[in-house]
Amino acid sequence: MIAAGLLAAAQDPKVHLTSQTRILAAVIAVAFMLMILELIRRDRLQERYSVVWFVAGLGMLAGAAFPGLLGLVADAMGVRDTNVALFSVILLLLLGLALNFSVIMSRQAAQITRLAQERALEKAREQAKSAENGGKPGSDASVRGTTAENDFGR
Amino acid sequence: MRTLVFIPAWNEADSVAAVIAGVRECLPDADVLVVDDGSGDETTARATEAGATVASLPFNQGLGAALQTGYLYALREGYDFCAHLDADGQHPPAEVARLLEEVRADRADLVIGSRYRERDGGGRGGGPGDDYKPTISRRIGTSVFRFFLTLATRQRFTDTTSGMRAANRRVMELFSENYSPDFAEIESLQLAVRQGLRVEEVPVRMLERTGGTSFLTPVRSAFFIFKGMIVLLVGQFRPRDAGAGR
Repeated sequence: MIAAGLLAAAQDPKVHLTSQTRILAAVIAVAFMLMILELIRRDRLQERYSVVWFVAGLGMLAGAAFPGLLGLVADAMGVRDTNVALFSVILLLLLGLALNFSVIMSRQAAQITRLAQERALEKAREQAKSAENGGKPGSDASVRGTTAENDFGR
Repeated sequence: MRTLVFIPAWNEADSVAAVIAGVRECLPDADVLVVDDGSGDETTARATEAGATVASLPFNQGLGAALQTGYLYALREGYDFCAHLDADGQHPPAEVARLLEEVRADRADLVIGSRYRERDGGGRGGGPGDDYKPTISRRIGTSVFRFFLTLATRQRFTDTTSGMRAANRRVMELFSENYSPDFAEIESLQLAVRQGLRVEEVPVRMLERTGGTSFLTPVRSAFFIFKGMIVLLVGQFRPRDAGAGR
């Protein structure tokens, strides 16, 4: 029976979704987008990181409303089984997202490092200056180095 | 001509004071900065007592970030030359003075103290590493990196991970903007050579560590080597003028 079903799916490229699964998918998509909105409203998620999730939610909703879209995508990919098309698209999307997060993380790690360095340098400079005033006067070290080198931001 | 000697230190309270004292003795004109890389022990207090200026990073960020902090300080405070050495007592300050002489004489922009390079002539005697006995995993890593870095830079390097270096302002400018926090030593050498800086190795004597333990275990070494090869490979495809001309 399962084999017969697979055979039918393989021969017929049209997508068969029961109305029950379509409603469920639509409800999940809407709930998902509401959750994103709620996260933004509570300042738990910044708008600039939310766009991609909204697009994902809309995609889910579109798939539920027009199941034929999935068939179009499968045709465009040259895949006979629409399930394979669905999973590959989702997998690629998630892969791209994960990479995007790694990029953001790397950038923020670099920023945090520079921030920590700036703070450490500031303290060291204060310490050096006070030691100079107390210890050996007559050095001009405090005047130098404060000119053009302070362009740490990029 | 002002010189800064900086010492990256992470939990080196036992040895840092002796290192500072040694530097002040061998290089009385140099200012000493300790970069405390988020130590949980008394490193900062001991270093301050010993008379060094201390730059304390609020949390541990790795050797690369600590070294970059030193280069940044040297650059911003207008030092003409800088040098750094490890805080664990493996690097004799007298050898640092020799490295500094090379950059002061403008024979190189960046000078690396090498444990492995043979001394050419001179009455100092002894073969390479006469005081220094590396472990096996370290020896393997050393030769792998030596091979690939030489391949990448077409310049002979023997001690690719040496933490004893002297530099002038051209190097400060480069390293304060571009210094990999993960893989500081090797990538920085590759970067300096690619930017057309004169990098030179000078044979130095190094000692057994007086405090702390090496972070290298066999598994870590393997991972370290693997990561290093990727870093070097990627570095070969970096644009040559990245960050140098601002």
